[in-house]
Amino acid sequence: MKKISTVVLVTLLILGFSSYPRAQRSPATTNSRVTFQEVPAKTSGIKWVHDNAHSAERFLPETVGAGCAFVDYDNDGWMDIFLVNSGVSDFYSPAAPLKNALYRNNHDGTFTDVTDKAGLAGGRFGMGVAVADYDGDGWQDLYVTNYGSNVLYHNNKNGTFTDVTDNAGVTTQGWSTCAVWFDYDNDGKLDLFVSSFVQFDKSQHRLCVDQTMTQNYYCIPRIFKPRPSYLFHNNGNGRFSDVSKESGIAGSPGKSFGVVATDVNNDGLMDLFVANDTVPNFLFLNKGQGKFEEIGLQAAVAYSDAGKPRSGMGVDAADFDGDGWQDLFVANIDQEFFSLYHNEKDQTFDDQSGEIAPATQLLSGWGLKFFDYDNDGDPDLLLVNGHPDDLIEMKAARVRYKEPLLLFENTGTTFKNVSAQSGSVFAKEFSGRGMAVGDFDNDGDLDVLISNNGEAPVLLRNEGGNGNNWIGLDLVATRSNPGAVGAIISWQASGKKRTRLRTAGGSYLSTSDPREVLGVGVSTKIESVEIRWPSGTIDKLTNLPLNRYIKIVEGSGIIRASLPSTDYTLHR
Amino acid sequence: MNRILIAFLLLLLVPHNAAAQSDAFVKKLEQAAAFIVDNRLDEAEKNLQLLLRTAPNNAAALDLLGTIRAKQGRLDDAETLFTRALRADNQLLGAHMNLAYLYLLKGMPDKTAIELREVLRLDPENADATYKFAWLLVSQARYDECITFLEKARQSWPLTVPILVVLSDAYFKKGNFDQAEKSYLAVLAQQDNNADALLGMARVSQAKSNATASLDYLRRAQSLLGDSPDRLYKFALAASGLNLVDEAIGALKRAIELRPDEPSYYLVLGMVQLTVKKPVLQDAEENFRECLKHQPDNAQAQLHLGYVLLKQKRYADAQVWLEKAIQKQTRSPEALYYLGVIAQEQGADQKAIEVFQRTIQLDPSFANAHIALGAVYLKLKDYRPARQELEIGVKLNPDSSKAHYNLAILYARLKDPQRAQEEMRIIEKLKSEGKTPENETDAVTPIRPD
Repeated sequence: MKKISTVVLVTLLILGFSSYPRAQRSPATTNSRVTFQEVPAKTSGIKWVHDNAHSAERFLPETVGAGCAFVDYDNDGWMDIFLVNSGVSDFYSPAAPLKNALYRNNHDGTFTDVTDKAGLAGGRFGMGVAVADYDGDGWQDLYVTNYGSNVLYHNNKNGTFTDVTDNAGVTTQGWSTCAVWFDYDNDGKLDLFVSSFVQFDKSQHRLCVDQTMTQNYYCIPRIFKPRPSYLFHNNGNGRFSDVSKESGIAGSPGKSFGVVATDVNNDGLMDLFVANDTVPNFLFLNKGQGKFEEIGLQAAVAYSDAGKPRSGMGVDAADFDGDGWQDLFVANIDQEFFSLYHNEKDQTFDDQSGEIAPATQLLSGWGLKFFDYDNDGDPDLLLVNGHPDDLIEMKAARVRYKEPLLLFENTGTTFKNVSAQSGSVFAKEFSGRGMAVGDFDNDGDLDVLISNNGEAPVLLRNEGGNGNNWIGLDLVATRSNPGAVGAIISWQASGKKRTRLRTAGGSYLSTSDPREVLGVGVSTKIESVEIRWPSGTIDKLTNLPLNRYIKIVEGSGIIRASLPSTDYTLHR
Repeated sequence: MNRILIAFLLLLLVPHNAAAQSDAFVKKLEQAAAFIVDNRLDEAEKNLQLLLRTAPNNAAALDLLGTIRAKQGRLDDAETLFTRALRADNQLLGAHMNLAYLYLLKGMPDKTAIELREVLRLDPENADATYKFAWLLVSQARYDECITFLEKARQSWPLTVPILVVLSDAYFKKGNFDQAEKSYLAVLAQQDNNADALLGMARVSQAKSNATASLDYLRRAQSLLGDSPDRLYKFALAASGLNLVDEAIGALKRAIELRPDEPSYYLVLGMVQLTVKKPVLQDAEENFRECLKHQPDNAQAQLHLGYVLLKQKRYADAQVWLEKAIQKQTRSPEALYYLGVIAQEQGADQKAIEVFQRTIQLDPSFANAHIALGAVYLKLKDYRPARQELEIGVKLNPDSSKAHYNLAILYARLKDPQRAQEEMRIIEKLKSEGKTPENETDAVTPIRPD
């Protein structure tokens, strides 16, 4: 267990706060439904469209991408948007150069394309993006995974980025998918896990044709060999060491799609849950001393209940039932059902998917996230779906290529499907892949960004989530890792205490808003917030203001409003 | 409804007391019968009412009027008229036959049997009544009675081909494949292109594990099916037994087009749909529901509907149907097992244990019940009984991936990774042999049509 090195008790004077620029808050409408509304491209200005490099040959990487992120790249307190695109590869030469996209948030619901200026156009065959301030300089950096070598973009603090991959020592080979920044050894620096997908290049491409069809379809990855993933240790000098082998990570070759860093046994060490396609999922238990043990089988999260490896894609972790233990979620392909793994508190899990299972039987899930969309204090669940095979409708009755989104409301011990009541977008179908959650309009409820394969992204504005009260935390670590990954946040309102572990990664190829929005429902007062930082520091705050973002600095007791225009410093 | 009634009309024209009637009277009766055959019911009725005005208790006229009422769907009125006809002339064969069919329509097979027996008492060699009575016995699964009845009849007179087919079917359904084969071959000796006998032989060959012969008979029958829903249905049963699933489904769909109110077609279609590698459970569900629409008390359909809902993890709905099925089949280990699976999936571990134990009491060789019971103990970390049940499960069904998988988890938790890996290797081997978890339908016993 971590030692508590500092206990800071901070009492805020409510009068010391004044409102700061943010979008109009909806009136408190606790009885009305929260909905998600599409923000059309003509409104948002996001005109970029993903190019999936679709070909008659149907090379596998075409159907897998791509990811997206909410990232405040310019530290203005507003979430910008990054979208990953395909690019040049051994099987694809685009007629015109393809670009990733960075959209700067104009603070008024619109965005401006600043990709070229930022130097983030890329050009490789992109998959996903993991965002973090890896060097602790206060600015968010980007690690973009590719089919081909990945790229680490260092934030130059002036709206531009520099490719520092080689210098940093995070070069990879082959096909990477998800990546996650987390501090596996609690040394206060963010390390990097990079998922490897199958052994594949153009020479290994196979023509997959079924008995009744004359066209190629996308091969099921079962026919390709697995590969070990990477773990890079952050040395703290801008450089990393490849510790894949000595950590035990490389000992488990997989076909990894999704990864989430979480602490499944509450030992203060971040573990990794990795979704694999057609081979068993991995649960890498962090044993300390830089070692991981893969315990997926005994934990009962590796296979279906009949012992069949499934097609794991998106993952996430959260304590959905408030018992203090991290539960896991994995989305699979159609007919395999998605699994909600309840943590049995002894490093084993029990699939309790409840209403989620029948709703997802015909769906294939990628991006997914536990988040509190209605600010009632508990994590809900959004699922982004789409079948990987664009010809699936010719082969399988009732399974569609484009699939609907699903929203599940947390009822305390299980989830209820509320998609039909949550906006017309849930009646639509998408070739969904990545998904990030973030409050792009700073109105205190979490919005959603979805990246679709071969289509335009979808930006969803949360309407009414801020009808409940909330407080937003921007955690600034000083001794802990810069992402505060592994921090435990507890908050109490109307006598009800809630706790949230700050996980990292999750979803699929995507990164969400790093701020923590804590819902308190209809409570008009938040009695306390406690941050247990990974370093062991505990900050306890009382008399906090509601319905605004605050910045909390580890151990210093200094809290500031997160926007420069209201840069308050409050004293104990 | 028209099929049999019209066929009996000619019988009516030779009433028992024909001699007592005038030529004009008989002529009018003949004319009324002809009108009925042509579906000119108003004209037929007009004729009959005139006749009944002069001879209110004329059995033939009453019977014809009953026929008209039956064709109009007024079954109660028809029954009254047929009964009156028989009161006037108890030996009127046509009225007995009409009443027999009417009772079948009204879902009263016992009364049908009484009427058919009466016909056979009056005319022991009546081929039509013999056929229908035998068919009725087979449809009620009274195979022994059917066989005894027909074998006795055979001693007195040569059975017709259709009757021989029913006799063969009875032997087949009883499980006496040698006699069934002999009987079907006797039919084929008389009619080498008899589709029913060819289909019967296809199924007998299957039962005797001769797939080549079965396929040969099936192919011979295929071109003779025509638009007979019964034959299409039999073809589907034989085809599904040979894993010709697409052909079976095609035949059943055609049979349903031809006879959309026959519940067994929907039931078997749903069952066949469950045998494909990746079953579309929703399609099967629709067919079981359709079957139940026509026959709400069909326990097989209830069981299967419960099963497909369970497979879709729609547990509350599944439970309703499985409990209905159990009310009909109180000693159904399958239904009980599925209820146990629902309890298990819903986290009601103690209830699941109790239900699986009851299932095992009913059928100690039910491998999946042992495996599921072992899985519940495993979940409860009660490793000794878990291992015991799983090992019994493996012994009963060495190809169960689910059993090996749960044993692998158990050994991994008992810190015996080597044995855990051995169990996982067995699963890999089973997979390489095509015995995949998919084929196990997630370890729930697949249900196949009879």
